[in-house]
Amino acid sequence: MRNPLRSEADAFRFVLLTLVYFGLIVIGSLISTWVGLGVFVVLTVGAAWWVFRALVH
Amino acid sequence: MSAAAEAHEHHGPPPIHYSSRVSPAILGMFLFIASEIMLFGSFFTVYFFDRVVNKPFGGQWPPPPFQRPVFVAGVNTLILVTSSFTMHWAGSSIKKGNRAGLRAGLLLTFLLGLTFLLTQIIEYHRIGFNTSDTSFAATFFGLTGLHGAHVFVGLTILGVMTVRAFRGHFSPEHHQGVELGGIYWHFVDVMWIVVYVTVYLL
Repeated sequence: MRNPLRSEADAFRFVLLTLVYFGLIVIGSLISTWVGLGVFVVLTVGAAWWVFRALVH
Repeated sequence: MSAAAEAHEHHGPPPIHYSSRVSPAILGMFLFIASEIMLFGSFFTVYFFDRVVNKPFGGQWPPPPFQRPVFVAGVNTLILVTSSFTMHWAGSSIKKGNRAGLRAGLLLTFLLGLTFLLTQIIEYHRIGFNTSDTSFAATFFGLTGLHGAHVFVGLTILGVMTVRAFRGHFSPEHHQGVELGGIYWHFVDVMWIVVYVTVYLL
């Protein structure tokens, strides 16, 4: 797995990913607290799965 | 001295042995940021503990009569996110040998960061409560103040980088100073996104 802070360009991509992650959670929580929680769980599990896959391969 | 010893004669310190694929400077910055994440983590733990355990007003957050300056902080968020774009522009420019782009990008990033910090200081004066007014106020100022301190450090680094850029210290081959400063600035931006969403919006 590539370190997300290996270079300035990688860190910038990490900023954009963080924006998308929290943006979706905020949009979900504006609809309802439970939707926001659901979005948080789905995104976090998805991110964890992606990191795990990247580490294994 | 034998012939073999003469052949291996080496002046100065021994060559550096790299035990990692990452350069020492990048690894150092990575470890520093890891320690910073732990520091922010401890502050967030206090904040969430206070938010979950302290529910004196039926779970209302923030507890009345406190109001968070959501709009001003939102504008500040836009300013800081924009500064990440200008920082990336500066980093990309020097890789292509565009020194004017590097200088403009760094100067803009510095000015945007300074605007963010000054806006936050002005907002502190207008907010209407202080650190000693309940645990909410203490955690609010603790988290936003901790981030503000990081912006100040980032501005100091950016200031040095900008001066060096104007003196022509960076080139497409040698620009590690821009890389390291850029990584730190993006980290500060990421932390603000987390602080803004958790403290101001949710």
